[in-house]
Amino acid sequence: MTYPSVYPTGVTIYNPEKCWNGYTVFQAKELGALVIDMNGAEVQLWKGLHGFPNKLLPGGYVMGHTGERNNAYGMQDQIDLVQMDWEGNIVWRFNRYEYIEDPGEKPQWMARQHHDYQREGNPVGYYVPGMEPRVDGGNTLILCHKNLKNPKISDKLLLDDTIIEVTWEGDIVWEWICSDHFDEYDFSEEAKNILCRDPNMRPSGGGMGDWMHINSMSVLGPNKWYDAGDERFHPDNIIWDGRETNIIAIIEKKTGKIVWKLGPDYNTSKELRELGWIIGQHHAHMIPRGLPGEGNILVFDNGGWAGYGAPNPGAPKGIKNALRDYSRVLEIDPVTLKIVWQYTPVEAGFVHPVDSNRFYSPFISSAQRLPNGNTLITEGSGGRLIEVTPEHEIVWEYISPYWGKNMKINMIYRAYRAPYEWIPQLDPPKEVPVERIDVTTFRVPGAAPIGRKKETIVEGVLPYQGDAALCVAAGDEVAE
Amino acid sequence: MNNIIFTVPGCTRCKIVKDFMKEKGIAYVEKDIKAEGKEEFQQFYTANRKSIYRGAEGIEFPIFTDGNKICQGIGPVLAYLNSGEKLAGYFSVGTLHREWVDGIHISSGNSKYADDLMSVLRYLKGNAMKLKVDTNGKHSHILQMILDNALADNVVMNVVGPPDLYSTILEEEVDLRDIEKTISLVPKFPEYQFQTTIVPVMRQEGEAISYLTPEEVALAAKFIEEVTRSKKHPYLIKLFNPREAKDERLKSLEPLSPNILFKYRTVAREYQMFAEVERE
Repeated sequence: MTYPSVYPTGVTIYNPEKCWNGYTVFQAKELGALVIDMNGAEVQLWKGLHGFPNKLLPGGYVMGHTGERNNAYGMQDQIDLVQMDWEGNIVWRFNRYEYIEDPGEKPQWMARQHHDYQREGNPVGYYVPGMEPRVDGGNTLILCHKNLKNPKISDKLLLDDTIIEVTWEGDIVWEWICSDHFDEYDFSEEAKNILCRDPNMRPSGGGMGDWMHINSMSVLGPNKWYDAGDERFHPDNIIWDGRETNIIAIIEKKTGKIVWKLGPDYNTSKELRELGWIIGQHHAHMIPRGLPGEGNILVFDNGGWAGYGAPNPGAPKGIKNALRDYSRVLEIDPVTLKIVWQYTPVEAGFVHPVDSNRFYSPFISSAQRLPNGNTLITEGSGGRLIEVTPEHEIVWEYISPYWGKNMKINMIYRAYRAPYEWIPQLDPPKEVPVERIDVTTFRVPGAAPIGRKKETIVEGVLPYQGDAALCVAAGDEVAE
Repeated sequence: MNNIIFTVPGCTRCKIVKDFMKEKGIAYVEKDIKAEGKEEFQQFYTANRKSIYRGAEGIEFPIFTDGNKICQGIGPVLAYLNSGEKLAGYFSVGTLHREWVDGIHISSGNSKYADDLMSVLRYLKGNAMKLKVDTNGKHSHILQMILDNALADNVVMNVVGPPDLYSTILEEEVDLRDIEKTISLVPKFPEYQFQTTIVPVMRQEGEAISYLTPEEVALAAKFIEEVTRSKKHPYLIKLFNPREAKDERLKSLEPLSPNILFKYRTVAREYQMFAEVERE
């Protein structure tokens, strides 16, 4: 993660011919919900509107939150989920999940939403031809928090994940509670042991175990697997992933039971070993029908540190015991578990593994499949958005210029690309190509240009070797 | 026939009952069902299966018999040994473990014998047990005695419905002042919970039986608010299981879908903001 002290922000690469052009929305750190065009022009800011995440809806609507619960008492709890029009008027709000009375705070109803939600009409919250999210009605699935105790997991207070379905009128009509299904997750005895002693305790509210930490939740929607008779992939079923456990799971909407799952242990079959450990992942979802790769699972496999299991030198207690210092974007066939497409440090052109951490976000991040087959990737921790082609060419790159004042980082949790027609209030912008700068010759004012004032020919020296004799070995360079 | 107590090794509840009998001078024979009493208990169980409750976690001990009566669990056995049949209805086999004793029903026994009931509760508390009692609101004076003597650690009140349906649901004339008094006492215990089960109700003679509606459960929640002047009590809404109904007429009822609970919760939260639904 070698970052220079000085580097450009905004759009740095743009090839209009190869891009799927549109508007991009993201939560600019401590600023609000920001919409940019392909050249990075900031065409709309809903100032102060929180976004965990922000999503655009057709008609120039945006979804987000009017605030977050005091961190002293809650972990990432958003007080509500709202739909806001182009002028900033709230046209829909949900907050009546739990009545919260925190010391010194105004008692109020809260949604306790975090990380994700899905409006009826669209399974994943981003553009899919023919699957527009509803803007004037319909139900909304919301990922929320609830504090509870479950002696099967630990005697400590848990910060559990729940999924609720809320009508346009605000009535909760369905609820799923993650810890109710603890026996279905196949944790090893070693994992259960450390989970019991430390279910990822966080200090908020005097201490609570954020044991699963679901960070993504979406609907499967119509798909070829169900059409072929595989009931696990019923269109109403819901896919989620748990950052702390390395689990990606599909739950049956009707019963709440786990019907398909990856993790928590990736050593249990040949297919999983070939897939490799998925660690601390984000935004696992099924690519919806109508987009290239439909039916496959797209996930940002962060790496970093996550999981519960046997202690090792990097995790002496056994918590966060899976470690990897680079990220991968994987497209996985959910039946064969084969990787269909990937974007990893290798495809990014970095020398693996010694330079692999140049593609690395140990938290947040996402991947959106675009209609032309490109993928919009949020490499979140560094505030970097890239659009890559199926052949792994970067055709658009943007670096967020917004660092927080409270948290000095330009992180982007999750960005989404939407078609121009979703914002009818704006005329489609001019698309001006941005050529990739040759960094070997690019200089800031005052810096000397590249080029030697004097070159001395040294007689008898040998040519340079390739990259096979670095100080550390690539894990797979010696055949077993 | 002798008094026989069937016990299991390491059973604190069995020891408490044996101590009680020793103190009262009641002669008994102990049968350890893991040792010498194994075969005898198997025969006893086979012959009396209907009288012995076997839950998901097995059979609760001790089990006592004097040849006429079979009692199971620490509460029912102590009640019988202390007062004979006078405390019938007050105790049943509990579901809690370790130091907790439940299956104590304040509203279900004969209130004439409240002093006998206090005596049994006092003995349990004297043996460091924690007591969880339940009530439907009847016999508020007994709950007051329990409160005055600090004989319960947890109280669950089943608010069976809105005030105007209370007598209908309990199928007896109920004094609502008694119910209101109980509602006002319940929050004074160290731990407590109000709850309502969505029961089937025959509103008029000859009319079809139908479940409590969301609006009626909201009125039950409002009842609690009006008596206590607080919307902030723990309040649980539960589904009725027709298969477990004692009334044969109810067994054929179609059970409500668990998802319907959320509609009840939404309206109940107008009056009890911490309303929750029972999970499987």
